[in-house]
Amino acid sequence: MTESIVVNNVIASCCDLTSVRKVRALNLLGVMCIVAASLLATGCGQTPAASFRLNLVESSKQQLTTSQEQQVATILAALFGTPDDPRVPPECNLDIAKLKLAAGPVRSDIVGRKNGLYREHCSHCHGVTGDGMGPTAAFLNPYPRDYRPGVFKFKSTERADKPTHSDLVMVLNNGLAGSSMPSFALLSDAKIDALAEYVKYLSIRGEVELSLMRAYFELDDEDEGVLPQSREFLFEEIIDPVAERWASAEDAIIDVPEMPSDLDMAVSIAKGKELFYGNKANCVKCHGVSGLGDGQANDYDDWNKVVVQAQKTVEGGMKQAEKVSTWDMSAEERDEHQTELAWLDRFETVLDANALRPRMIRPRNLRQGVYRGGMRPLDLYYRIHAGVNGAPMPAAKGTVPPEDIWHIVNYIRSLPYDFNGTLGVDRPMVARDRM
Amino acid sequence: MKRLAGLFWSLLFLAVPILGVITFAVAPAYDIWLPKDVSEHGAAVDGLFYFILWLTGVVFIATEVVLFWFIWKYDANNEKAEVKYRHGSHVLEVVWTIVPAAVLLFLAIYQMNTWADVKMRRPNMAPTVEVIGRQFEWRLRYPGRDGMLGTPDDLHLVNDLHLPVDEDILIQLKSMDVLHSFFLPNVRIKQDAVPGMKIPVWFKAREEGVFDIVCAELCGWGHYKMKGRVTFESRESYEQWLEVKYQEQEATQASNSET
Amino acid sequence: MSTADTKTTIVQDSPQKQETQVHAQPSPAGKLSTFLSTYVFSKDHKVIGLQFLFSTLLWFLIGGLLALAVRWQVAWPWSDVPVVGKLFAQQGGQMAPEFYTMLFTMHATVMIFLVIIPILAGAFGNFLIPLMIGADDMAFPTLNMLSYWFMWPAFIAFGASFFVEGGAASSGWTSYPTLATNVNSSPGAGWGQTLWLIGLTFVGVSSMLGSVNYMTTIILMRAPGMTMFRLPMTIWAMFITAVLQAFALPVLTAAGFMQLADRSLGTGFFTPEGNIVNNAIATAGGGQPLLWQHLFWFYSHPAVYIMILPAMGMVSDILTCFARKPLFGYRPMVYSVAGIAGLGFIVWGHHMFMSGMNPALGTTFMVSTMMIALPSAVKTFNWLGTIWAGRIQFTTSMLFALSFVSMFIIGGLSGIFMAATPVDIFIHDTYFIVAHFHYVLFAGTAMGVWAAIYFWFPKMFGRTMNEFWGKVHFFLTFIFLNGTFFTMHILGAVGFPRRLADAYHYETFHHLQPLNAFMTYCAIGMVASQIIFAVNFFWSMFYGPVAGRNPWNSNTLEWTAPSPPGHGNFDFQPIVHRGPYEYSVPGIESDHLMQTDPPNAAAAAAAAAAH
Repeated sequence: MTESIVVNNVIASCCDLTSVRKVRALNLLGVMCIVAASLLATGCGQTPAASFRLNLVESSKQQLTTSQEQQVATILAALFGTPDDPRVPPECNLDIAKLKLAAGPVRSDIVGRKNGLYREHCSHCHGVTGDGMGPTAAFLNPYPRDYRPGVFKFKSTERADKPTHSDLVMVLNNGLAGSSMPSFALLSDAKIDALAEYVKYLSIRGEVELSLMRAYFELDDEDEGVLPQSREFLFEEIIDPVAERWASAEDAIIDVPEMPSDLDMAVSIAKGKELFYGNKANCVKCHGVSGLGDGQANDYDDWNKVVVQAQKTVEGGMKQAEKVSTWDMSAEERDEHQTELAWLDRFETVLDANALRPRMIRPRNLRQGVYRGGMRPLDLYYRIHAGVNGAPMPAAKGTVPPEDIWHIVNYIRSLPYDFNGTLGVDRPMVARDRM
Repeated sequence: MKRLAGLFWSLLFLAVPILGVITFAVAPAYDIWLPKDVSEHGAAVDGLFYFILWLTGVVFIATEVVLFWFIWKYDANNEKAEVKYRHGSHVLEVVWTIVPAAVLLFLAIYQMNTWADVKMRRPNMAPTVEVIGRQFEWRLRYPGRDGMLGTPDDLHLVNDLHLPVDEDILIQLKSMDVLHSFFLPNVRIKQDAVPGMKIPVWFKAREEGVFDIVCAELCGWGHYKMKGRVTFESRESYEQWLEVKYQEQEATQASNSET
Repeated sequence: MSTADTKTTIVQDSPQKQETQVHAQPSPAGKLSTFLSTYVFSKDHKVIGLQFLFSTLLWFLIGGLLALAVRWQVAWPWSDVPVVGKLFAQQGGQMAPEFYTMLFTMHATVMIFLVIIPILAGAFGNFLIPLMIGADDMAFPTLNMLSYWFMWPAFIAFGASFFVEGGAASSGWTSYPTLATNVNSSPGAGWGQTLWLIGLTFVGVSSMLGSVNYMTTIILMRAPGMTMFRLPMTIWAMFITAVLQAFALPVLTAAGFMQLADRSLGTGFFTPEGNIVNNAIATAGGGQPLLWQHLFWFYSHPAVYIMILPAMGMVSDILTCFARKPLFGYRPMVYSVAGIAGLGFIVWGHHMFMSGMNPALGTTFMVSTMMIALPSAVKTFNWLGTIWAGRIQFTTSMLFALSFVSMFIIGGLSGIFMAATPVDIFIHDTYFIVAHFHYVLFAGTAMGVWAAIYFWFPKMFGRTMNEFWGKVHFFLTFIFLNGTFFTMHILGAVGFPRRLADAYHYETFHHLQPLNAFMTYCAIGMVASQIIFAVNFFWSMFYGPVAGRNPWNSNTLEWTAPSPPGHGNFDFQPIVHRGPYEYSVPGIESDHLMQTDPPNAAAAAAAAAAH
């Protein structure tokens, strides 16, 4: 303390101003500094805590009222807590300890263990809610996954089934080659495990939200727009079906036949090629004659399709509304018409703010040797057998015998290396070199 | 009191070299210093760093202390002697031009050999591995059994680089999209990966261990997370690891650990 | 050789004399147009200089706040940002990584193109050149006005880019392709980058207009008796800077247009064949990313000297004034400035040692880079020689000038590490570099600018700034800047890379977080101390003690004019009789002899004897 007084004296003594002027100057300046500092300080305040975003696209689609949306939010908060404090019904079979590790803001606890893993590693793309709408999302191609519909592409289970825990872990470990999803293999197993659990949590939460919103649609008039308040309804109608689908994932793992060990690779590839171009598998339709992914490519995946359809609804509704004349309507009809217009208007605003610009999905270029779901023959088998859930890629199951799928796998794995078609726009030889 | 002002300000300037030297002296104790070096050429690089550190350190201390001394001594409130009315000194100018020139030229020539070793004298061998930068990962491609890149038996991996210890390593560095920089702090290697160029990088590790691969050239929003890992290990375990990874890549059945 | 006994004088009547007299008459077109022509679209170099000063100080504040946000993320990654966190409320107050990338890109851009370059050349160059050479105004007043107003499109472009989709440019201030050329590569590579290039072009045009003007003015419009070797160092530095600008800028402008074409017209100057970014295939190919680096650094390395030479010049003048002693080695100082400028054109490759450029070329650039340390060393020794056996007055301005010398020593010496190619392998793109250029540009140039503001403030506004608070400002800034930037050296020694939003997940850098937190505290302190400066600056403008014509007893011509000088600057025709640094001449009663003071036999004798 005394030191600082000495210092101040020293500085003060350096001034060559006359003392009267100096005192006035100092007072005024001092006051102004304090004012400036306090202005700066009042600017400070607590930033709002992160919160889950409601699925507004769905709620608009189901024409929920604001109070109904409020109900959904309340139920979800009661069941699943907040991003900082996750909760989960025991029916969902999730490990709350793992969730706590992944949830919350980025921080270290007393032991130095890192918490808030999801917001450190994932949320800037996938969003705090897991809606695939983090701040970075709009600039990525393909868009980050929206977990809320509970649909996952790369897994070892049948097409309509949920992925197993180890499927999620595998994606986290390997990343998705050719997309912006990086490999997190350098994180510890415990962290990966926690993150996979948290993805399941967000997914289940999203699915419950969707079912709740859809439940309003099926309400009778006597319900007066309020969901049944019973525990049975909530658990039996809404939560249990979701939880069960997740629980049954392990039983839905695809049974892969052994690849014949005495297989002549050249013969197998030739057979695969036949199937590729043939009617049954008909890979050529989308992946193109040259395998460059230049076949039919005017489709959307499920996530974009939701947005496209919603946009069509809005556009169509608007056009319809323009044609209608309000003159010859009864008061009741006019009210209905007004409500309809208000809804369309709101839906449009919601879509602008809560959905990414729809982007078409391109069939994979098979000559680059980049396979998002992994390059093992096994992974390719899963993809061909079950198709890609959420994407237009259909399952070969049922149309192609299991053993023959191996031939397609072998043919596809040979594609980056063996080129005997015409040179496409993509210059496959260059692409191959780039892997 | 007036005298005190001069003292105060000159001591402030004296604090610069004192605290500066203390910072550098104390930093290694907190491990805030050159990371462990496991490469063969690293000693030469570090040696040069220390050489320049000592050289500049001496100049730094000397000039800053002279500055302090002048500020202290020639304070208008202290010095009663006449101001020395001089426009300069021809001799001094020549001395302080020639001496630094000689030192700097020596420095330039002295380090050329190290530079040539690290960046110009490429070993005559096939690439051990191809490293390809991509937003935001290091894609690795081992040539496989046939020793050639671009064949079906290539081993494809991401971020997890394994290399044999005590052997010349030649990496073929490429980039798919934007600039990246392949930085191995513990091997004293840094090389930008440039799209459209194949750049050779070579070194030899002296020690086994696991170290970071850092991206050191801004490559977009995810630059910070472009992290890799290099493991230096004995020839046997390296080959064993390659074999395991290759078997994994060619798997046709789910392994037990997965289910 | 004495500067005082050079008898050649250039006598010329300024062509501006008549024009300015006409201009000074009350305008019949009404008050508004008078106001506009006097304060807004003024052709008076002093008004333009002040316009530059106010604009750049405002941007200095913005750049500083951007730096704080950068520091926040480096110290406490992903934690909620206070105050401004609300503004970009992404996931609570947490920053997105591309936001961080944008922050440091725009911090550098704002500081370099909107603060340092225009404050030195635009503000001080404009204000000081005519006054210090004894001219009424610039050679081309209209061009001069345009040089300021061409900054506005740049201000708007850079400012607006924060609000476009994807945010402002985020490819680093160096804008390396293909990150900068491919619109799919990052969020900021869309409109943000285009606006960045447009802004850069306008800054270039503005600088070019200024530089042409400065060169012409300094060559043609010096007062009678003001020979080239009687020019103050400030003017020499401004002159050489103008030459550097004129030669280097066209390259950057051309490169900027090439990048713009790559982005919007589908050319492929900088894009190699088959480039795929973010799953989008480039439309053109056959280019070379390294070409941009060559072109960019061909401008931007000389630009480094554009950013320091004027500060060196001003510091030389301030040091002599407050040491009451002639500048030590005037001619070596001039030659070393010229040497820096000349060598400055052949060292650009040292930014590219690790870039994939032929390593043999690296060797050549290393030698030339080592050599450019030489003139800088000569200047430092001469500054030390200047204060040696002087009589130092501790004004705020002098303290800033002394700290410039002290800090420039650090910045200069750390440069040698990077010039050494093998050492650069390790420290390239680490915080060692960040430390180096902040020591040169902040601890050097910015301190020089503060010295200049405190020094010439009386001439600008007719009042002096408060010395006590000036010293408090100096003291705090000095402490905090060293706390922030000196520690960056040891951070760089660990290899801590620049531009990482979160480096602590690397084992190598995991333990550096506390050190970074310390640096951020210092940075916050540093920015907070500028409140003192801002208050002092505006308060003194209106309430500071009135200064006379020559409050510091300085020698150069501007101090013979009224404070502040009226339109046309001088109320008499200055005639120069000697060099600018005749302080404490023996045999003279006063301790200073102004350039315009009549010839004095005793002084001439003393000058002759001193050589």
